[in-house]
This record gives sequence, C-alpha cells and structure tokens, in this order.
Amino acid sequence: MTNKKIISLVLGIMCFALTVGICIQIRTVENTNSAVSQSYTENNLRGEVLKYKERYDNKVKDIEKLDQELEAKREQVTANNSELEEAENQIKQGNKLNGLTDVTGPGVIITLSDSKAEASSVMDSSLLVVHDLDVLSVINELKNAGAEAISINDQRIIPTTAIVCGGNIININGEKIGAPFVIKAIGLPETLANLARPEGYLSILKEYQIGVELKKSNNITINKYSGVINYKYATTIQEK
Amino acid sequence: MVLFAIILGCLLGAIIGINAPMISYTYSSYLAIAIIAALDSVFGGIASVINKKFDMKIFISGFFGNAILAILLTVLGQKLNVDIYLAAIVVFVWRMFMNLGTIRRYYVEKWTDQLVKKKENKEESSQKQKEN
Repeated sequence: MTNKKIISLVLGIMCFALTVGICIQIRTVENTNSAVSQSYTENNLRGEVLKYKERYDNKVKDIEKLDQELEAKREQVTANNSELEEAENQIKQGNKLNGLTDVTGPGVIITLSDSKAEASSVMDSSLLVVHDLDVLSVINELKNAGAEAISINDQRIIPTTAIVCGGNIININGEKIGAPFVIKAIGLPETLANLARPEGYLSILKEYQIGVELKKSNNITINKYSGVINYKYATTIQEK
Repeated sequence: MVLFAIILGCLLGAIIGINAPMISYTYSSYLAIAIIAALDSVFGGIASVINKKFDMKIFISGFFGNAILAILLTVLGQKLNVDIYLAAIVVFVWRMFMNLGTIRRYYVEKWTDQLVKKKENKEESSQKQKEN
C-alpha cells in the first residue's frame, strides 16, 4: 500500500512540473503573438525576428544602464569642484535642449487616427488616412505655439528629426511609426490648446473626417531620444 | 489513487503555471522539447504502473534525464545547424503512442471483461428464474 502511495505521489509531482511547464510555454507563445503557421520557413523566420527583437530590447536596456552609470560618475567627479560643476550644468542644459533627457510637465496630447469612414464613400481613399505632411504641420503648429518638447508615439522630436512618408507608415527618426499617432507636447496647455481653433490645421483634418482628439494634461512625461546624434560636418568656429 | 494524484498535480500545476513569470522567447524552444520529453516519461510511468513493472529509480531518472538530454541535443543541433530536435520529437511522440496503446489495451480489456461477466450473471439469473 505504501508503495502505491509513493507511486501516486511521484506521478502527481511529475504531472505538476509538466503542467507548470506547459502553461508557461503556452503563455510565452501567446505573448509573442506568433500563430503557428503551416509553413516551416515562415515559422523559422518569425522566430528569428522575435529573437532579434529580444536581443535589441536587451541592448537598449544595457545602454540605459550605462547612461545612468555615466551620469552618476560625472556627478561624483564634479561634486566638489565649482568650475566642473558649471560644465556639468552646461552639459545637462544642452542635453535637455537636444532632447537627450526625459522631461515632464504640463501640455497637451493630440491623437490623430485614420478616418473610420468607408473607403468607397469618398473619391480618393488616401484622404481618409493621416499623412506625413499632416503630422509635420501639426508639429509645426505646436512649435509655433511654444511647445518645448514633442514626441510622436514615443519618438522624440529633436532638431535632426525627419518626418517622411514610408508607404502605409511614417518614418520618424528612421523608425517606422503607424497610425494612430499620439503626439505629446509640453508647453503652456492653454496656448497649445489653441491648435483646435477654427481654421487651424486640426479643424481642417476634422473636415476630412480624420479622428482628432486634443487633451490638456498637467502631467506629461516625454521620453528622451534613444538614438545617437552624429555631427560630422558642422564644426564650431572658434572665436578669438 | 494514482488517477487522483495525477489530476491534483495537473490542477496545481495549471494554477501555478498561469501565475508564473514568462520566459524569454529564445528559450521557449528548449522548454518545448523538455515538455515533450517529460510528457513521454509520465505516459511511460502510467503504462509501467499498469504493467506492474514500475521502478521509481528508472522513472525519476528518465523524467529528468530525458528532458535534459533533449535540451542538450537541441542546443547541439542549433550549434551544428542540424535540426536534431525533430528526431527527438519523433522518438518521444512514437513512444508516447506506444505507451498510450498499452494503457488503452489494458482498460479496453478490463471493461470488456466486466461487460462479459455482467452478461453471464444476467443469463444465470434468467435461467434460475426459468427453472423456478
């Protein structure tokens, strides 16, 4: 009898371990949204892409960690030296202006989404989607209204940012961004909200049945620019 | 008793597995092959209980040994650019079907025996009634 008890106990533990593994595996596969395709090559390619994405995410995390270390080291070195402290403050100010630091403050969140109207209801279906020039115009108006930091779907707008059409997506900072576009801007919310004025660009977009939503917020966080800024050709003129 | 333990283990495992953290996609192929190996071991264990040849040492060593060997073979296959895990899957699934066949045969025979006995009992009782 005890023998049978031990057998059932061991079998139970094995089944326990097995189902834990199966559940974790199912959740992992579901999380990656990779529906199993019948094609072997397709599955392999998808797996490769997912692996590279994971590696990329890990590298980004590493970079963030190193940045923090650098910051800490810099602060440590300049702690007791007033001259260096000034330089450190200059670096910080420059980073802020260039969009290399996370910033937070009041502002507006504008969401531009493609029109929900039927494509057959209009002559030209390209009028129903948000184009790169629409986004560019909105950004321009935001800058005109005094926005200090702007991001589109978490892509920070910096002086070298280009917004160009890339087929059914838009390339911003070389990254592919798709609709809906969530544009966050930090500035005086009342001024920025003037974008919704009659005859403003947002109201023109609304006339084309494109989804426009403007929301004031007192607490917006805009992430820093994640890429590298390389200035190869522009050199500073030394003043005598 | 054995069935109860298996069901309890499965239920507990499902509850904990749903709440456990996810693993990264890179390692999910290794976990998948380990699951297949473990599944094969469990079916083998049930089949050996039915055959009354169950040996604890062989069962436990098979459970862990097969899973680890399968993972190692998968890693080796990826290094050599050969899909060794396919061979592992074929072997494990084949053995799973063999063990399932043993389990199925045992229960089918048991149930048919019971049915035959019931019939015989009925015939006996009906004969007794006629005699009476």
